[in-house]
Amino acid sequence: MSTAPPVARAYDTLRPNILQRLLDMRASLDPSLGRLDDAAARAQIGAVLDHLGNFIATGDLGLHRAFLHTFLAMRAAEAQSPAAVLAMLVAIGDTAAQVAQDDGTGELALVLTRVTASTARAINDLIAEELDRRLAQWRELAAREREEAPT
Amino acid sequence: MSPPPGVRVAGDSHVGKVRTANEDSLVVDAARGLYAVLDGMGGASAGDLASQTARDAIVDFVVQRRLTMEPRALLEAAIQAGCTAVWNCAQLSRERHGMGTTVVACLLIDATRAVIGHVGDSRAYLLRGGRLQALTRDHTIVEELVDRGLLSPEEAERHPYKNVLSRNLGAKPDTKVDLLDVELRPGDRLLLCSDGLYGYASTEAIQYLLGSGDAPNQVARDLIDLALRGGGGDNVSTLVIEAPPAAPSSTQVVRTSGAVAWWQLRQRFMHVAREGGLADNPICRGLDPEEALDLVGLSLCEAIFHDLEKSTGVNVWTFAQNLAGGWFARSGEWAPLRALMDILVRAARTVVDEIRTLEPSLGFLLDVAVSRALVVAELAIGGLLAERLREVDSDLIQLHAAVMDTIDQPSLDSDDTPKFVDSPTIPFLRPDRPVTNSGINAELVSAIEKTLTIARARTSPRAELLRQILVALETIATDTSGNFASAVLAARELYGVRSVDDAGIMPLFDALDQARIITAASVHQITATDALRAKTLGAISAAHQRLVSAMTGLVLEAVAPFSERLREVQAETVALRDRVAHAEGKRAQLERKFATTIDQSQPWEQRGTTESEW
Repeated sequence: MSTAPPVARAYDTLRPNILQRLLDMRASLDPSLGRLDDAAARAQIGAVLDHLGNFIATGDLGLHRAFLHTFLAMRAAEAQSPAAVLAMLVAIGDTAAQVAQDDGTGELALVLTRVTASTARAINDLIAEELDRRLAQWRELAAREREEAPT
Repeated sequence: MSPPPGVRVAGDSHVGKVRTANEDSLVVDAARGLYAVLDGMGGASAGDLASQTARDAIVDFVVQRRLTMEPRALLEAAIQAGCTAVWNCAQLSRERHGMGTTVVACLLIDATRAVIGHVGDSRAYLLRGGRLQALTRDHTIVEELVDRGLLSPEEAERHPYKNVLSRNLGAKPDTKVDLLDVELRPGDRLLLCSDGLYGYASTEAIQYLLGSGDAPNQVARDLIDLALRGGGGDNVSTLVIEAPPAAPSSTQVVRTSGAVAWWQLRQRFMHVAREGGLADNPICRGLDPEEALDLVGLSLCEAIFHDLEKSTGVNVWTFAQNLAGGWFARSGEWAPLRALMDILVRAARTVVDEIRTLEPSLGFLLDVAVSRALVVAELAIGGLLAERLREVDSDLIQLHAAVMDTIDQPSLDSDDTPKFVDSPTIPFLRPDRPVTNSGINAELVSAIEKTLTIARARTSPRAELLRQILVALETIATDTSGNFASAVLAARELYGVRSVDDAGIMPLFDALDQARIITAASVHQITATDALRAKTLGAISAAHQRLVSAMTGLVLEAVAPFSERLREVQAETVALRDRVAHAEGKRAQLERKFATTIDQSQPWEQRGTTESEW
């Protein structure tokens, strides 16, 4: 017998419908997803959905943050801005919640909306940390420039 | 039996403009869900007697047997009882010979199911989605000829015997009853009527009135007026049954009741925000505490209210943009804004929780809607943070280029310059920082091995990558040397040859995530003391962390050439931009010179040339 919480089991049951809805509207989620063929888009969105399932089952914020960190880095390598990544993840979470609501699994819709809120907050934390790092770099470089500048 | 909740029924009857007596009868018995229209026939008052006799017999039968018979059989038997009663009544007097009645009856089982039974030419119609459809076929001689293909529908319309019934209640001791199960949908309307309606009104007009949205009692009256305006040549009876409307959607509930409930508790929101220290947040520094509460707390409360009312997110978005935009414009940092948002989120959650306690279903819908509004706020702030990051990045590139210009920078192409890929990307790999794993002992090694054996047993044989990771975790966790060599070796083996994209990298990190979850669950399955379990979990978590770090290092190495090329391209872009700026300056200078040298008042060919100046 599965020991996963009922809401996680409900998510697993609904996952194929959520994936299908997301695939159908992937171009509006993110233009780069719209350009992918069905199999590649399925793999990418599927990875996010798998992770959402893990987060719902475990509630492990550390793991969630680690995943988002990797995800941001991967998308940055494709020249996608953090704002676009944030918008895409929020759209995925919101669509998943919508599918749950349409299906009548209201509790899951609420959990998915809260997970989306956690995701948005974690991404904002990560962007802010990156911003701090760059500002520190900027200050260091500015100081170096002042030192090196001919008097 | 009480009438199904939400079902509305109304009926009306009129003698018409020609007849002197009304031979129609109605049954409206909401308590038993029984509704019927009967149209009597036979001279010398026998018609109204027939319809009343059948009506009373049907009602009596249903009252007596409704608890012991299933609805379909009950209605059929009740109509048969009506037929027998009329037949018996007709046998009592010569004047009553030939009397009879039609019947169309509806037995409502609940708000979604009904059974229709009919004999004769009284009809039942269903209005669904604005379209009217007949549920019954008249039991007339002409209709039967049409059914047998002996007459066309057009010929039937003009046939002199079109009103002669082939079946009725009373012509014989029993009759054949046509029955139909009807599934009702929200908002459906059933119409039971005598031929005095459809004989004097068009189907389109009936459809229009039935679908008008007016209350059933109004519709029943309007239909009778319609028949009267059409001539009113016969008694006319109408009975309208309306299924309950669809429950309001969750969006409608939130827009109306949800928004009001939220706004009514705004003082509670403010109170929690005040207690949470909203006024002490650096963003509100310099403001009077009440002013701060109004400007920030009440504004968000209002924005959420308007967004709930209109099912949008635009007000919360604008609020968050104004708040964060103003703060960032003052070079504010993320931490105070984050703290302020936390206070506001707590206040919102408190309000929602209180509504959930009072009205669980409304509170639940509101919880989803308010959570969504708070996501919108984070999204708006995220956009601003990302924009700020982009600006700093751009400044950084320019500054970097400026620094490169001022110092003696060796060429990037020079062979002796260490490439990014050559330098250690994992700081802990430095040989000057040896790490020892002194805490490990035989008991712990045994516990780790048992945990990972259980974890492997719980893993699908098809999840090859996950199984490899579990093997690697065992090796790393039980490595008594305690340095990172085993983690790096395992990472290289797992990494293998991969493309640097989602398809290549994501499965790896996903499997690492899964490995962590499975091992954390498996550690509770081993027989050990709590202390040993805690140590085992610590050792496996540390091994997991090392493996993830080593894997991240490999990914960074893989993307390093792209980063390097990106840096070069950025530097080249800066140089090109400088050259363009220089060229623009030169052009402007020449244009000024051209304007002062040439006498523009002269015709073109006489202006002279500045060629020598160029």
